Amino acid sequence: MYRALILIILVNIFSCLGHAKRPIVIGSKKFSESIIIAEMVSILLEEKYQTSVVRKFSLGGTKVAFDALKLGAIDIYPDYTGTGYVMILKMDGERDPQKVHQIVSREFKSRYGILWSKKIGFNNTYALAVRGDDQRFKNIDRLGQLSGIVESYQFASPHEFMERKDGFDRFSKTYNLNFQKDHILSIESGLMYAAIHNKQTDMIIAYSTDGRIKAYNLKIIKDDLNYFPPYQAALLANKKSTESFPEIMKAFSEFENLISENEMVEMNDQVDRFKKAPYDVARNFLIKKNLISGKIVNKTEESNLFKYFYSKKDYLLKLLLEHLLLSFGALGMALLVSIPIGISLTRHESLAKVVFPIINTIQTIPSLALLGFLIPIMGIGFAPALIALFLYSLLPIIRNTYSGIKGVDKNYIEVSKGIGLTGTQILLKVEIPLALPIILAGLRTAAVIVIGTATLAALIGAGGFGDPIFRGVATVNSNLILLGAIPSALLAIFTDKCIGQCEKIFVSKGIRLKN
Amino acid sequence: MVELFNTRKFMIKVEKLTKIFPGSGAKAVEDVSFTLEKGEIGCIIGTSGCGKTTTLKMINRLIEPTEGQIFVDENHSHTVDPISWRRKIGYVVQKAGLLPHMTVKQNISLLSTILEKDQSYITRRVRELMSIINLPYDEYQERYPSELSGGQQQRVGIARALMEDPPIMLMDEPFGALDPVTRNSLHSEFWDLNQKLHKTILIVTHDLTEAFKLGDLVILMDQGKIVQKGSKEDFLKRPANKFVEEFVKGEGLV
Repeated sequence: MYRALILIILVNIFSCLGHAKRPIVIGSKKFSESIIIAEMVSILLEEKYQTSVVRKFSLGGTKVAFDALKLGAIDIYPDYTGTGYVMILKMDGERDPQKVHQIVSREFKSRYGILWSKKIGFNNTYALAVRGDDQRFKNIDRLGQLSGIVESYQFASPHEFMERKDGFDRFSKTYNLNFQKDHILSIESGLMYAAIHNKQTDMIIAYSTDGRIKAYNLKIIKDDLNYFPPYQAALLANKKSTESFPEIMKAFSEFENLISENEMVEMNDQVDRFKKAPYDVARNFLIKKNLISGKIVNKTEESNLFKYFYSKKDYLLKLLLEHLLLSFGALGMALLVSIPIGISLTRHESLAKVVFPIINTIQTIPSLALLGFLIPIMGIGFAPALIALFLYSLLPIIRNTYSGIKGVDKNYIEVSKGIGLTGTQILLKVEIPLALPIILAGLRTAAVIVIGTATLAALIGAGGFGDPIFRGVATVNSNLILLGAIPSALLAIFTDKCIGQCEKIFVSKGIRLKN
Repeated sequence: MVELFNTRKFMIKVEKLTKIFPGSGAKAVEDVSFTLEKGEIGCIIGTSGCGKTTTLKMINRLIEPTEGQIFVDENHSHTVDPISWRRKIGYVVQKAGLLPHMTVKQNISLLSTILEKDQSYITRRVRELMSIINLPYDEYQERYPSELSGGQQQRVGIARALMEDPPIMLMDEPFGALDPVTRNSLHSEFWDLNQKLHKTILIVTHDLTEAFKLGDLVILMDQGKIVQKGSKEDFLKRPANKFVEEFVKGEGLV
């Protein structure tokens, strides 16, 4: 078991570092369209070019995916010219699709050693959408007409739009959209369409190829000032990867003008609304286009939750293994380090004054931000996720070890010393046994934090129960969300109970009686 | 072990003991000297803050003296390392100071366990001591301190100090936390016990009745100094000064 564990850790670390004769690693961002296109590339490479492929889908955002590509942690991922142009190059002004594509191709190659494929065909730009039956917008077709009249309207947009250079701030200024501060909602893109459909918001920033625009009868208000740059979909690859894998560029050439806007809308709808698996949708499309041969698969997902879980049992087992390795790997490391640190801090008060602010600060860094910090150093995947979780579990254990030992009644220590125990004997026979309930409580807190936080590891491609959760949120698939959420919650409860049992075994009856 | 010492030998001797705690100019203990011969019980008495506990802790070296000499069992404190020094001295504290996570047996045998004595010796010795302190072994050895009464805890504390049969015992207010009835009966038991064991014992107390009842030598301290030392008769008939007279009167013994 230990050997297998170490092996898996090593394999993961080495795959991050990038070794010879390895599979091609394909990434995607965490929305259906990105996943579908990444699936297509994967399937094409697997079935037509006989290459082995590793899928690191549902990465946490443009920043994560782009950094991972730049560092060679992934070889390929799909993105949009506008995103590269505005968000990564921080440029603006050009609106001609051809020219924007030329600029990103040129600049990415010289600045980052990243190659853009030719355009896949469709343009997936941002678009302001309202409900088609909303009478207030009956006579409004152009964004210019909304100037100064939206004060009473609710507005929602994806998180990314709130942060982008071409995002909310400039958009609302350009069109003089005077939303009230508390009417603006930043939301997971997958949930946004349901929100407007259920009248929880009045306007959203939609993606123009999303199937739900048609499905929910949403109306697009025209971007009459040409505010948004073109968002031509394309594939990005690390130049070094294309040198070791010539098939990447061959596959890229097959994607040129492969998918029209209508086709993409249709495929998104298949996944988002009809709960088809992205793999099946992507594969069916490639078969229809005669790029690979095979039979069209048309199965919808099992709706009974038990049968659904059962049908995914192999996937679940893989997730469980990943989740266990991540959480218990991190906890084990933390345990080995934190208890000695906690004890030595009780011996060196001045050190405690320095160490506690540091680990307190680590604890306050939002999990996703911490993962983000680690990407430039460690890439994506198992290793950075393990380190982040390790850092999170330090504080509860160190703090409880420290305060547990500090809290031991000074009289017990003095009397032990008076009897003739040495410092080490006092620590082992008196201080640790007396502090044990508090140390175990710290371990318990750390375990629950780590098992919960480990779901975020999926955002940097480390797998675990977060993988189905994020894909489920992106594709509005509640079965998929539950596939990750239920087992990870059960795992947390189970671990908590186990540590509770440890307390009964290891803590002396004498101090349990007292309480 | 007892036979090894000739009867006239002093067992505890302190000379001009002085303690100044770092950061405080005042002398917590000043110029304290006294001698206890083998089998004698000495009682240091005084109000709280008079320096009596500090004096006791200097003898087992929980506190290092600023000045002065300490001899125990004819050894000078400088010639022995503190750990071995303490292991030769039985130590009993107020409220017994039993370790709450250990059973009665584990508490009594703590030092023997540390010294890696074998289990059959430990069990035999604990049995013996528990019969001396009137706690039946089979009924009490597995109990935890929180399951014992105050008086029972105090007896276990004394048994623990006796485990390795030290020639000397230091006791810091050993009966202080007990109700008067229990205290009285423990005094008598303790007195009888030491008639058999012949330990040299130094007791710190704030109870003059206790000091007069148990002490061969009574040492009255005030503000770090010895005001008077002597027998009960000395204190009653020949008080050194007004303070001693008042102190004895205040206790209602005259």
